[in-house]
Amino acid sequence: MKLEVLPWLILFLPLLAAGVITLFTLKNRVVSARLSIGAVVAGFVLSVLFIKLNGFHPEPKELLANWLSVGDLRVGFGLRLDPLSLLMLLVVTGVASAIHIYSHGYMEDDRGYPRYFAGLSLFTFSMLGIVLSTNFIQLFIFWELVGLSSYLLIGFWFEKPSAADAAKKAFLTNRLGDFGFMLGILVVWATLGSLDFAVLQDKLAADPQALGAMATAAGLLIFCGAVGKSAQFPLHVWLPDAMEGPTPVSALIHAATMVAAGVYMLCRVFFLLNAPALHVIAVIGGVTALLAAVIAIQQNDIKRILAYSTLSQLGYMVMAVGVAGAGGNPAPAMFHLATHACFKALLFLGAGSVILGLHHEQDIWKMGGLRTKMPVTYWTFLVATLALCGVPPFSGFYSKDAIIAAAQNDGPVLFGLGVVVAALTTFYMFRLVLVAFHGPAKSDAARHAHESPGVMAWPLRILAVPSLFAGFWGVEKLVGSMYVTEEAGHAVAWYQEIFAPFVQAPAAAFGGLAAVLIGFFLAYALYARATTDPLPEKLGALATAMRNRFYLDEFYEATVIRFQDMIAAIADWWDRWIIAGVVVKGTHGTTELFGRALRLVQTGNLQTYAFLFVLGVAVVLYFALGK
Amino acid sequence: MSLLTYILGWPLLAALVLAFVPRNYRFVARVVAIGATGLSLLFAAAMFLQFGGAAVSATGYRFEQVVPWVPSLGISYHVGVDGLNVGLILMGAIVAFAAACVSWEIKEREKEFYILLLVMTGGILGAFASLDLFFFYFFHELALVPTFIMIGVWGRGENRNYATFQITLYLSIGALLALLGLIALYLQSGANTFDIPKLTEYIRQNPMSLTSQHFIFPLLLFGFGILVSLWPFHTWAPLGYGSAPAPTAMLHAGVLKKFGLYGLIRIALPLMPQAAQSWMHVLAWLCLGNILYVGLVAMRQKNLNLLIGNSSVAHMGFVFLGIASLSLVGITGAVVVMIAHGLLAALTFGLSGYLYQQTGTLEMSRLGGLLRQLPFIGAAMVMAMFAGCGLPGFANFVGEFMIFFGAWKSGFLHGAGAMNWFVVVAAWGALIIGAVYMLRAARAVFHGPPQEKWAAVADANPWRKVPFVLLLASLFLFGCFPRLLTDKITPAAEPIVAMATARAAAPGTVARVSEPAVEPISDHLAPRQAATPETSGRPAEYNSAIQQMGNLRYETDRDASAIVNRQSPTAN
Repeated sequence: MKLEVLPWLILFLPLLAAGVITLFTLKNRVVSARLSIGAVVAGFVLSVLFIKLNGFHPEPKELLANWLSVGDLRVGFGLRLDPLSLLMLLVVTGVASAIHIYSHGYMEDDRGYPRYFAGLSLFTFSMLGIVLSTNFIQLFIFWELVGLSSYLLIGFWFEKPSAADAAKKAFLTNRLGDFGFMLGILVVWATLGSLDFAVLQDKLAADPQALGAMATAAGLLIFCGAVGKSAQFPLHVWLPDAMEGPTPVSALIHAATMVAAGVYMLCRVFFLLNAPALHVIAVIGGVTALLAAVIAIQQNDIKRILAYSTLSQLGYMVMAVGVAGAGGNPAPAMFHLATHACFKALLFLGAGSVILGLHHEQDIWKMGGLRTKMPVTYWTFLVATLALCGVPPFSGFYSKDAIIAAAQNDGPVLFGLGVVVAALTTFYMFRLVLVAFHGPAKSDAARHAHESPGVMAWPLRILAVPSLFAGFWGVEKLVGSMYVTEEAGHAVAWYQEIFAPFVQAPAAAFGGLAAVLIGFFLAYALYARATTDPLPEKLGALATAMRNRFYLDEFYEATVIRFQDMIAAIADWWDRWIIAGVVVKGTHGTTELFGRALRLVQTGNLQTYAFLFVLGVAVVLYFALGK
Repeated sequence: MSLLTYILGWPLLAALVLAFVPRNYRFVARVVAIGATGLSLLFAAAMFLQFGGAAVSATGYRFEQVVPWVPSLGISYHVGVDGLNVGLILMGAIVAFAAACVSWEIKEREKEFYILLLVMTGGILGAFASLDLFFFYFFHELALVPTFIMIGVWGRGENRNYATFQITLYLSIGALLALLGLIALYLQSGANTFDIPKLTEYIRQNPMSLTSQHFIFPLLLFGFGILVSLWPFHTWAPLGYGSAPAPTAMLHAGVLKKFGLYGLIRIALPLMPQAAQSWMHVLAWLCLGNILYVGLVAMRQKNLNLLIGNSSVAHMGFVFLGIASLSLVGITGAVVVMIAHGLLAALTFGLSGYLYQQTGTLEMSRLGGLLRQLPFIGAAMVMAMFAGCGLPGFANFVGEFMIFFGAWKSGFLHGAGAMNWFVVVAAWGALIIGAVYMLRAARAVFHGPPQEKWAAVADANPWRKVPFVLLLASLFLFGCFPRLLTDKITPAAEPIVAMATARAAAPGTVARVSEPAVEPISDHLAPRQAATPETSGRPAEYNSAIQQMGNLRYETDRDASAIVNRQSPTAN
């Protein structure tokens, strides 16, 4: 392998930037931004260079240091380089680069600007750490660090109560998932005796039954981690609230990378998952995709619509892992992850551009007519929307089609669900586009909107390129080569590749396309000229429930949180009144009573002493002689 | 003279010197205290760095020094370190220096305060360095008594007197029980020595009778346990720390409290293995009280110091769980948590002391929005809180996950997997409950809109930052490079685990018949070598666990038969 040092540099440059900013340049805006942006852009360039030199299949060699070794617990610290991690390296550094540059413009007026970049760099470091991990503990360490950096970034405006609450909620909900993840790691280690992915894979390849009765449990526990981080039902509640962070943060960690970590992790440990576990995973993914898409229809905040759309798309990816089946090929999940990272980052950055142009207005019903006032934002946003909806030849069509095709093999339920969600996706996205960018301006802010400066517009243009073309870059084949032995590939011309899905899996492709058309026409009919939302009248209580996210947050508040607080109250009461109160105060009181009794005896009166003395002598004499 | 004598000697010498300094020379008192603890810290760091290259004595200790004192009783001033206490001494020296630094908050009777602080420091370091039971206990008492005085005189809050009373009551009882146990150990062992290495070696050759083991071990377990706030004997701790001046809370919660745990690992486990084995599942249940119950209590606290105090009690539960696992990984993890928690407790109490000094209250409902005014203190506190809920990068995470791993696989007591549910609950306590109360506190104290009443609150100046930076840096260092600790701890823990997990005797011996009290253990009596036919029916993990215990489990078969021979008369 050439230039083995490069992956280490790619990983640690952002950490270095974060450290230097935190320790030395918190007062210097320019240097801080340069350090942070420089680190991630250098990471992207070096990643490209490394792949140019070594290809996507470097010699299978892990660069390893012994991090901890006690008894039979051995944890290495290394870098795993294979198509999966190298692809993610490109996605993370690439998308993060665009977002870092964009942030330079978006956050310019903020007083916490250096702190912001320190947070971004720390996040990039943690995410790269997850991608390159060679074993479970290393992965878990970076997993938690991603949780930390998301806490810091969501709560960036910590003086705003809602932001501070959202940060706390995100971290705690993630922790719930990590609890299961940790137990899953324990089960795997106890049964297979190793934590290293390569060793585990070999062991399971040699003996597929090595996990024995614990196989399903281990798989589901590990999946818990992904449920938390990738915001799957029922732990999805943190992600929409996380939109309290600055918009580029939403783009980076709640669209393109952090939430993708769960899906990436599932692909990384795919060999551990057996058929029953995968079935549960597919169902959870499908439920999340549907639930989030339905909720998205009745949201009015531009960022929240995108947040629920992210949830829904993550549901797709998780479902793709599930429907791959044991020993199958989860490459469609990674394919969609990669394309989604590009176009969802673009959507969020576009939303950020709109929000800034309208002086922090986020309600789509106060926008309108932005098409002409913000042309770059509009056109790039449209490209990303088409990609998200799955219109050929945009990238999203190919990745989504791969998932729906895989679901088709699994059975009619998930296939139907996939198609319905595709229709819903088109509906809510065109509701957003039509209301916010078309029609008349619905507020003063919208009438005086202005296009964003170049430092923000260029990242939009750059991200539009992969949103359009990433479907043709062979991502699926690349990742798939890790799971199934490659068939002798016959070269196809580029124009054939455009139509390939219609040839290979026509039902999925035409079904998806039909769904897009239905969704679009519905949205157009309802929203093309609307100034208020016509749906609530038509749907009644259902719309209210959708707007209120089916009251899931309130439900958790009333049950889980209330319950834990109640137990805590009982424990506290017991501690305060029974142990400390009765027992200790009792001892206190008894001792004091005893002391008082003794003090009565010590009167200082000589006659009393003489009397007691005589009495004592008499008693002693009685016992000594009388008996 | 050994480096250790310097490490514990400087603070004691400084205390003596201070006694002769006039009381209005306030600055001198402060300089002397910081200087002496600083010197201790430098020597401790040097010892830690030279540890690998230092000469090892026959008993496996380094930097040893022996000065006989009462030869007839076998008492001598004997100090030395192995992997188990070298990290603890370094941690103690760091915390002592930090405590001396933050003592600027003391504004009255400073001379007396610094004298007590130095005595406490010398006592703590001496207790950890001592390899003689007498001095081990003596140094602990030397450190304990100043604690009571400092809380009573310099403490804060209305509950001060009650807290002083409670902490004195509990800790005196705990210390007394431990003393009884140690004296009984001296008398029953028959070794006629207070010297810990000699005693250990003697008992390795001639195990104590089961009767005396079962008499002494509970005394040590609960005596030491009370000193470490083992549930349900924990209520003194939050209240005491809440009322204590910050330096005292730092030294006690951080360092002195670890004395009980250290005593359990160093003395109780290896010397009374059979009793230990039969008590470990009790300890496992009690530690859930610490982790779960006290964790929940911490969630309800409205005062920051009470919250930190409860969380510190909860953390002790993890150490107990590691000890109860009786496994190499678990006990190594326990020692790592002891060190990590020492640094962390000192950090949080130091920071909350700063906060109290600036705002005059620690009631969380009255605080809020402080991060803008206190960027450094706030950031340090939030980092400390994350360390407290087990965030990787800090040493606590390493220790806690090692404890989980050790306990999960510990199949020693009731077969493999018997402790899994304990680990599940402990992980819930560590990952969820800990995060809930820590993040709630961070939200309540530092986040939210800035308030006008805090306009006068000032962040730490560079000098005031020194102790906090030092503590945070140590937590980071050990969290990122845990082998700095574990590579030292593991070789020292191995023989202890080997002794503690030794079986009473080979199957079918007298001990089994005559001692119904240990019946549950003897069901699992394992032959010495995994290859013997009896093991064929046991789960594979069990056998590997036995092998993992290493060569040191028994020196030889000959030794084991010596054990049986010696034991039978006493047992009968």
